[in-house]
Amino acid sequence: MNYPVWQLDFSGGGLLIALIAILHVYISHFAIGGGLFLVLTEMKGYREGSQPILDYTRKHTKFFLLLTLVLGAITGVGIWFTIALIAPAATSILIHNFVFGWAIEWVFFLVEIVSILIYYQTFGRMERRSHLILGWLYFIFAWLSLFAINGIIGVMLTPGEWLNTGNFWDGIFNPTFWPALFFRTFLCLMLAGLYGFLTSTAIKEQELRHTMVRYCAAWLLAPFLLFLASAWWYAQSLPEGPKNWVLNLDPTLAPYLSFFMWGSPILFLGGLLMVIRLPQTAKRALAVFLLLLGIAYMGSFEYIREGSRRPFTIYGHIYANSILVKDLDAVSQKGVLASAKWVSKEITDENRLVVGRQIYNIFCGSCHSIGGPIRDIKKLSAKYTSVYVMEGEISGQGKLIGCMPPFPGTLAERNALATFLVEGLHGKKQPAAAPKLVAPPLAPLPFDPEASEYVLLAWNSLGMHSMTDADSYFSFLPPGNDLHAQLIKRGPTPEVVTDGVVLTYQVEPGYEKPADKVEFWKYLPSLYGTSKPDNIGLSDNTIAGTMSPNPESRAFVADKVPVVPYPAAGGYMPYPSFTIEARDKTTNALLASTRMIGPVSTEMGCKTCHGGGWSKEVAGISKGATEDFLTVHDRFNKTSLLAAAKAGKPLLCQSCHPDPALNAPGNPKLLNLSASIHGWHANFLTGRGAEACALCHPNNPQGNTLFLRGVHNDIGLDCTNCHGTLEDHALSLLLAEKKAGKTGADRLMKHLKPRMASSLDDIKPRTPWLNEPDCLTCHVNFSPPETVNAFNVWTKDGKELYRNRHDDSGSIHCAACHGSPHAIYPTTNPYEKERDNFGPRQYQGNPYPLGANRNCKVCHTMDMDMEMHHPNSLGMMRNTRE
Amino acid sequence: MDPASLIPSPDTIPAPWWFFEALLLLTFFVHLLFMNAMLGTAMIALVREMRGQPNDPPPCRDIANTLPYTIAFAVNFGVAPLLFLQVLYGHFIYTSSILMGVYWLSIIGLLILAYYSAYLYKMATDLPPITRKRALGTSLVLLLTIAFLFVNNITLMQTPHIWPVYFNRPDGTFLNLADPTLLSRYLHFVVASVATGGLFLAILASFRQKKGDPGAAKQLRAGMQWFTYATVVQIGTGIPFLFSMPKEVHQLFVGGALPHTTFFLVSLITAFFCLYYGNKEKVWPATFAMAATIFLMVLVRDLARQAYLAKYFHPSDLEVIPQWSPLFLFLVILVIGVAVVVYMLRLAARVPEEVR
Repeated sequence: MNYPVWQLDFSGGGLLIALIAILHVYISHFAIGGGLFLVLTEMKGYREGSQPILDYTRKHTKFFLLLTLVLGAITGVGIWFTIALIAPAATSILIHNFVFGWAIEWVFFLVEIVSILIYYQTFGRMERRSHLILGWLYFIFAWLSLFAINGIIGVMLTPGEWLNTGNFWDGIFNPTFWPALFFRTFLCLMLAGLYGFLTSTAIKEQELRHTMVRYCAAWLLAPFLLFLASAWWYAQSLPEGPKNWVLNLDPTLAPYLSFFMWGSPILFLGGLLMVIRLPQTAKRALAVFLLLLGIAYMGSFEYIREGSRRPFTIYGHIYANSILVKDLDAVSQKGVLASAKWVSKEITDENRLVVGRQIYNIFCGSCHSIGGPIRDIKKLSAKYTSVYVMEGEISGQGKLIGCMPPFPGTLAERNALATFLVEGLHGKKQPAAAPKLVAPPLAPLPFDPEASEYVLLAWNSLGMHSMTDADSYFSFLPPGNDLHAQLIKRGPTPEVVTDGVVLTYQVEPGYEKPADKVEFWKYLPSLYGTSKPDNIGLSDNTIAGTMSPNPESRAFVADKVPVVPYPAAGGYMPYPSFTIEARDKTTNALLASTRMIGPVSTEMGCKTCHGGGWSKEVAGISKGATEDFLTVHDRFNKTSLLAAAKAGKPLLCQSCHPDPALNAPGNPKLLNLSASIHGWHANFLTGRGAEACALCHPNNPQGNTLFLRGVHNDIGLDCTNCHGTLEDHALSLLLAEKKAGKTGADRLMKHLKPRMASSLDDIKPRTPWLNEPDCLTCHVNFSPPETVNAFNVWTKDGKELYRNRHDDSGSIHCAACHGSPHAIYPTTNPYEKERDNFGPRQYQGNPYPLGANRNCKVCHTMDMDMEMHHPNSLGMMRNTRE
Repeated sequence: MDPASLIPSPDTIPAPWWFFEALLLLTFFVHLLFMNAMLGTAMIALVREMRGQPNDPPPCRDIANTLPYTIAFAVNFGVAPLLFLQVLYGHFIYTSSILMGVYWLSIIGLLILAYYSAYLYKMATDLPPITRKRALGTSLVLLLTIAFLFVNNITLMQTPHIWPVYFNRPDGTFLNLADPTLLSRYLHFVVASVATGGLFLAILASFRQKKGDPGAAKQLRAGMQWFTYATVVQIGTGIPFLFSMPKEVHQLFVGGALPHTTFFLVSLITAFFCLYYGNKEKVWPATFAMAATIFLMVLVRDLARQAYLAKYFHPSDLEVIPQWSPLFLFLVILVIGVAVVVYMLRLAARVPEEVR
């Protein structure tokens, strides 16, 4: 914010600091342990009266000098140069707060340099005692330099009280000062042994070589247990935040942790191997191998240490993107461009990409590279299909993605950043215009108002049934629409017929073999713990058959009819039609027939954010999308769903997550599926309207389903009018789970703020699929609505749901006359305008609800003046069509 | 764009600014001594190597032996002033470093190569002259490059009006080549190194002379000649350097402001003494004159920087939140450190010369 950002692409994301720092620490720790090694080995030479040992020590000193004084020392300056270039704000804080710590360390360096140069230059010529004093002085001051720098490095990870007091000593003697000091000291000693292998295996004389290699092995092996113990002490001393990253085996750190775990015994065994007699070439090779292993070992430790202070550079004080924690709120209010110095001050259509890049530099560049080996933003952002969803990902930072700082920019700044990432980096343009959806007109079946004896009304339970069709990976919505029908015998007093008749259903040609199109049946045993013959649904219904009478609801039902939106001829068609026939049970005479739509969609927009595209051109959950979100799920929840799927054992989401939709008890300690899935995504898609819903549900304006197609859609209402915005929707679900004592709710609720209620307390908790919006919230007493906000008033239970409700007479389903949920008559189907209005068109020649405009004759065969179905049922249709 | 709006906000400092200013000037002065000795002796050695015949013995064992060490101390004493510079001017030097980030960071690689080349030169007594020349030449070219990059950064940090160039060059590839002082400033430092390098050789020779080395007198004379001639040239480079600075800066030193002019005039006088004693081949008086000149030039240079930045910033603007105990600890450790260094040097001095 304060400083310009060195714009790095390939080498961004900390590559420079990683390369320089790992090299430096590997040498600088040797510079300390190796110092003790020199003086003790010299003493050993004197003690044993061995000139060869002294000669070896002298040669080793030369190696030591050339390595530590040049490469070690200058890479140390290099770290300083690099952090000042990459993270100037944090560097400035460390310099200004701990300048005397640095200055003290500089004095120690000065003494180190003088002592080692004299030690080397006078080796074998200076009087022994003085020479040994020089050696000891070198080691003491080298170790003191570790003492000083250890304090300053520790502040970055565990600033402790320094955060409150700003006191130099609180910072230096921070909570991990002592364990880190011991840890690093033991490491120094071990490295003396590791580097010693390199020179001792080169000794020509065999016995001496063997002695000295063993001697070096002792340096490596003796401190090992103490080293591991101090590592454990170090980890235990970490405060909650960093400790969580390390001890919970965060997947981003896990490879490095396991490398550290595995590296330890390998190094130890390597040290043991060096003890036994082996040919010189083998020992040389082993020495080089162990030295290389050592740098990777140390590198993994440093990576874990750095990684565990995410998302900060100085924990709790300054974020990795150089925003001070105390400034975050102010920046959030003012915006990035107003707060930062080295940026353009306004966003225009012309400079959006440039400003987006500037914002990227500030917020992302310190951790991400562009096309480089470290956290390549190009790879990470490739899956986002539009600026809109990229904005969602940016919004989610610092919430559920705890390793990243929150994004404090304005909406326009977020848009500029997302535009840079999506259009600037990937050249993706905004989504193309909406496709033209067409289907051949389908005429309603005939009905003779004078002669026909029956009216057969049919509907489906949801208006659109979404299904997951990536069955080889997972499932949470099986194919299976529920078809409902009521047969009414016409007359002045019509009668709902449930006895003596048989109702059948038959899908239109081309949809008879869903098993040819999806792998549901192949994975049924793994997903649902059962198996069915191909094309038979979970309730043993197939796509043509007999509907079951339900005397209680006075309707016929065929549930979980396994229709899929893939016609045999190819393509995607989410509105297949069914023919329903009612026949006399005895004579099999056709009493009535009608058409209905069995809508089903696989346009589930996982790919929008998870990449991978569609599996079937315009719909279908792809392998790429699935693998991505299973990876995310595994990463954040420590599951192994992807591995299970790849092993041929995909899981049903509801096998863990309870869900009333499938009557699945799941694991009662976990959030129900709806709460978890909406709660998770709401953290990313904040501040949005209904378009956020359409990212996942099949109602995307650029999509091929557009399932919200009833009269409510025609008059301009959207998902949020009934369900609330995504945040409200998620909070209502999560609140119920929180009240049920489920601990997972808090994590998802923490960053969500209600938008359609004044506070969280005002949101009414609800259970998905049972507590849903109630039509009568707006249509008070069945009157024209005075408000268009049905959010936060829920049906008491499943019986009160629109799809299960009856009229006041208790005989006719609401949906029988008004159409399926989300497709209330008059409906405008996106493929063919009248495709959903079969019933009304068949019986009354218009698309309006049955009996609209006082057309009671449809069933009663005469005009009526009693509002027996519901109040206002004799009113005239308001939302008429041209 | 108003460059002042780009200047980052500085952090607070834990002691009065003048304390850091004093440390900055003092340590920079020592850095200059080592840096000049390093660069100057390397240049002189290369000239001698080039003049030498193929079968001659290595002509500059004295320089070869000390070059890696002068590098070590030039670097160590470079760290301290850079630290104190960051304390006082961090928001300027960080910014200018980022603008030339690629070059600035390359210094680390160049320095490592220069350093190893110097060690190769030191240890290459058995190697053919061409290898020696190459090792020394490489080291010297790299050191001169580093010096050039430093001059770039130091000029860039004090000219914020150039900084908006960042908006077209955010990738750290900017060099401040258009700065009117750049070349004369660079030459001024490089020529100063030759002078100091010559004097350094003369000092080494004077030690040997004391111990009865018959060849030392010749080397002393040669060193003093390098010193004297280079100082003459140095005055020649200094004048254009002074007048290449903006008028409001250079006028301060030629009568515009009393302290500025005084320091500058006194430094001219000490420079005159350098020439005088150089010509007389009086090593120690010349050394004192040179040290005084360098120290005064360090002061003048610092005043010039303050003048450059006057409209934006003065170190006294920095907020002080004192923390005395670490300051005292530093001073105590500094005293101990220096005492230990002196003790070790005395130990080393006791080692007989002929054994070395």
